[in-house]
Amino acid sequence: MTEVHVLGVRHHGPGSARAVERALDALAPDVVMIEGAPELDAVAALAASPTMQPPVAGLVYVVDEPRRAAFYPLASFSPEWRALRWALSAGARVQFADLPAANALARVDEPLEAPADEGEEIRDDPIAVLAYTAGYDDPERWWEDAVEHRAHGLGVFEVVLDAMRALRAGESDGVHATREAAMRRALRREIRGDARTIAFVCGAWHAPVLVPDAFPSVASDDALLKGLPKTKVAATWAPWTSSRLAYASGYGAGVRSPGWYEHLFTTPEEQVNSRWLVRTATALRAEQLDASSASVIEAERLADALAAVRGRPVAGIEELLDATQAVLCNGSDVPMRIIARRLLVGDLLGHVPDGTPMVPLARDLVRLQARLRMKRSAVSHAIELDLRNDTHLERSRLLYRLLLLDVPWGEPIETGRTRGTFKEAWRVEWRPELEVALIEASAAGTTIVAAATDTARNRAAAAADLRTLTDLVEQCLLAGLDEALDAVIDVLAGRAAQQHDTTRLMDAVEPLGRVRRYGSVRRHDTEVVHSVLASVMTRVAIGLPSACAALDDDAATAMRDRIDGVQRAVGLVDDADIREGWQTALATVVAQRGVHGLVAGRATRLLLDTGRLDGAGARRRLSLALSPGTSPTDAAGWVEGFVAGDALLLLHDHALLAVIDEWLCGVPASTFDDTLPLVRRAFADFAAPERRMIGEQVRHLEAGTSVTGGRDDDIDDARGTKALARVLDILGISQ
Amino acid sequence: MTTPADEVLRAHAEQQFASDLDALERADDRPKPPNWRLSPWAVATYVLGGELADGTEIAAKYIGRRRLVEIAIATLATDRALLLLGVPGTAKTWLSEHLAAAISGDSTLLVQGTSGTGDEGIRYGWNYARLLAEGPSRAAVVPSPVMRAMEKGSIARVEELTRIPSDVQDALITILSEKTMPIAELDDEVQAVKGFNIIATANDRDRGVNELSSALKRRFNVVVLPLPEDEDEEVRIVRERVIALGHALDLPHDADALREIRRVVTMFRELRSGVTSDGRTSIKSPSGTLSTAEAISVMTSGISLAQHFGDGTVRADDIAASVLGAVVKDPVQDRIVWQEYLETVVRERDGWRDLYRACREVT
Repeated sequence: MTEVHVLGVRHHGPGSARAVERALDALAPDVVMIEGAPELDAVAALAASPTMQPPVAGLVYVVDEPRRAAFYPLASFSPEWRALRWALSAGARVQFADLPAANALARVDEPLEAPADEGEEIRDDPIAVLAYTAGYDDPERWWEDAVEHRAHGLGVFEVVLDAMRALRAGESDGVHATREAAMRRALRREIRGDARTIAFVCGAWHAPVLVPDAFPSVASDDALLKGLPKTKVAATWAPWTSSRLAYASGYGAGVRSPGWYEHLFTTPEEQVNSRWLVRTATALRAEQLDASSASVIEAERLADALAAVRGRPVAGIEELLDATQAVLCNGSDVPMRIIARRLLVGDLLGHVPDGTPMVPLARDLVRLQARLRMKRSAVSHAIELDLRNDTHLERSRLLYRLLLLDVPWGEPIETGRTRGTFKEAWRVEWRPELEVALIEASAAGTTIVAAATDTARNRAAAAADLRTLTDLVEQCLLAGLDEALDAVIDVLAGRAAQQHDTTRLMDAVEPLGRVRRYGSVRRHDTEVVHSVLASVMTRVAIGLPSACAALDDDAATAMRDRIDGVQRAVGLVDDADIREGWQTALATVVAQRGVHGLVAGRATRLLLDTGRLDGAGARRRLSLALSPGTSPTDAAGWVEGFVAGDALLLLHDHALLAVIDEWLCGVPASTFDDTLPLVRRAFADFAAPERRMIGEQVRHLEAGTSVTGGRDDDIDDARGTKALARVLDILGISQ
Repeated sequence: MTTPADEVLRAHAEQQFASDLDALERADDRPKPPNWRLSPWAVATYVLGGELADGTEIAAKYIGRRRLVEIAIATLATDRALLLLGVPGTAKTWLSEHLAAAISGDSTLLVQGTSGTGDEGIRYGWNYARLLAEGPSRAAVVPSPVMRAMEKGSIARVEELTRIPSDVQDALITILSEKTMPIAELDDEVQAVKGFNIIATANDRDRGVNELSSALKRRFNVVVLPLPEDEDEEVRIVRERVIALGHALDLPHDADALREIRRVVTMFRELRSGVTSDGRTSIKSPSGTLSTAEAISVMTSGISLAQHFGDGTVRADDIAASVLGAVVKDPVQDRIVWQEYLETVVRERDGWRDLYRACREVT
């Protein structure tokens, strides 16, 4: 006769894990059944490997569509993990039992993540619901007080079974009926086999229906399991992290504080609070915050007093955290964030052994390669893509996505500054280490697109400055990650609003302008980028005047370049509001006193170029800047800012040239030597013929004549029209 | 000598809410720490409000997070001193008065901290006439509120602890760690009776006035009182206070005028938190506090402006100038913050055109 023991547990409950270990030692079963997709049987043996370190997740996914996947995260304190390890070391057979993932994942009409409702919570974590009802906010504490202190050994599971029977009384369970039928079917099969003692580790909720005495008829279970859709799935292990344990997935609700549970599991009960507070103090000291032993003692006393005020038998994690904040952190919540990150959640990263089957991310890449006809070649070679072609566009996106995942299969070459071109060139080379990179990246998701989206999101959240974010926006655009793009833009908008340094904001403008202008090449809707750009420009316009005040020479040069960058972006996006705001800001800078000559000159020039300032106004500004009251070096800076770039201005506006000429001739000999290099620099960028022409102009200025004798009335309109028609034809502009 | 409670301008908490305290005392069957009038549970109920088993309704004295009040009470129960920290206008003094009233039945043992508070304000002074006539004796000692609290075993309150000069503050160290107050002149001491404790309040915005020494700080458990959490709560507080102040200052309040309260509160909350109320746009925060108390003063001056220079109805123009004054404390950085807020948030918001125009005008 086979003995069956149903061990109802709290998923991720350290108390349950201890109880399960004790029960298994006492029972010494030869078959250990664990709630979980039966497909995991194939990879269960890997858990015995010493290189397998939790947190890890059992992963079952649809082979053709890895996005549909079920995760079974396991921490070192999960009862399922303890049971698995126990069975593997004791030589017992491990059998996962649940509705096969092949059926569960085949129901395509169901949303991947069902919305949680009230009933769901009680099924996922009935013990937590019981604990909350009893006034506890830490279910593990309730487990200690209500279960462990009253029952011992297997008695614990009797108590759980009774409690669940009471909870489930009158429940007609539709959602989980098929799953439970599948668990019973697996159990029946084992009972018919040669098993002597079976221990079934399952979520507490399911315990009452898995007791063989209470089994419904085989026929009714078979009816439930008949004709379920099926799909092809594969199972493997994936490395997991502490922070991911906090997500809800697979085994019911996630754990809010895996670090605390780990602590509960590894610390003797009577030392739990003291040790936790000592660890808290150590973490605070590592951050250079005072945390004396005396304070630790006071914190524990306060925690106990708080428990008394709240009517609880012992202090739990809530009391410990409140006491920590009041005693160790001077009431501030900033150090509490360190504690939350370091201790409550923790930073463990799991590891899976080498022989683990291929991760779905790698499979997804294989699938995409086949579809896009891209071969892995160990030889480095260049490929050229035409983005108007759908396949080519997809290839480009794939390569950019892999770049985001730190799997540099391809490297873009000759990317000019503009993204307006349809041509794109890559140098691709598959190196063996990329396989490893793929496995590392697989923690981020099961498909390339999901993983890249997740990675981009995380990077955005962690980004330290605007520059990183704007680069990320461009990368998302290139990689065709619409969802990530929205997320990154959101972060960018938030950061831009918080940015007090106008220069940083200005740095962000040009990349955003490029994205806005050339996004269409890659078939993107960049409307959302536009609204962020508009708000950034509003802030830049408000901050520009004060950002331009009191700059030294180096800062002024940098500011001049930034102003040019913003001007380029403003030209690219062609939005009347943005342009208007920007020009008003430039006009304020021009009118402001104490602005470095280089910047003021540049701003004046930009206003002249865009027609905001007319020639007469510019001349007035120029002569004001070059008047004797201004120091010659400052004036030279002004000239440099003003004339640099395009020589045509000076060639055509003789009056401007005359003002400069007059000023230069008036520079006293004592400062001429200092001024000369600056003036030379202003003209240095012009081509030699342009410089020569300017020189000739100056000579004629002195003679009182003009070298460009040609006047408007010399043009022969008839001949000109013919030539114009031809030019338009060549340019492809119809008249 | 004492005036009947209903004739004084403002009654002490234990007088005003005597019926609540009596009802709780009757219903309270839980263990009380020595010399406490009520059990910790009953103190929490007194402060946070609730209904007793016999159906008596206890009004809430402090509207805010239950957690914080529980920490405060638990602290006092452990003989550690309590420091209530917070920006101005977060009900620190209010809470400390009610805690003292509920625990000791006496909220009057109060030291108001100022830069002129001396040693004798915390420890004891001398009755010089007696000192000269009879020589040094216990009868010649003039006890401070703290000393009296030690003798009685009740709660002493120290207001604005950080305004007190550092050397005077440090007189508290012995009191808090040894629970005694030596009287060196008489070679005598006062030992605190059980139930003695101190509630101090301090303002964490005017930091650095007289920062607590770390030796003293270590003897306090700190509870930071936050600004009101949700908008409706804050609007309610502002509305009640504005009406109350209006009566006191003989300003006729018109119900319509109060319409502007929500806009002022919304602006203050958004600037304070750095994010718009819909949570979709981040903005910069100015250097000032923008506390609830400031919103109250903006509204009061708006009503006064409308009353004396307008038609009595509070409009955007009446509040614009005082909002600007409240927000722009630093002429350079805050002005940029304010302009950005105007251009990116106020301008775009439906029905706020008038406010935008009025603010543009004064900015």
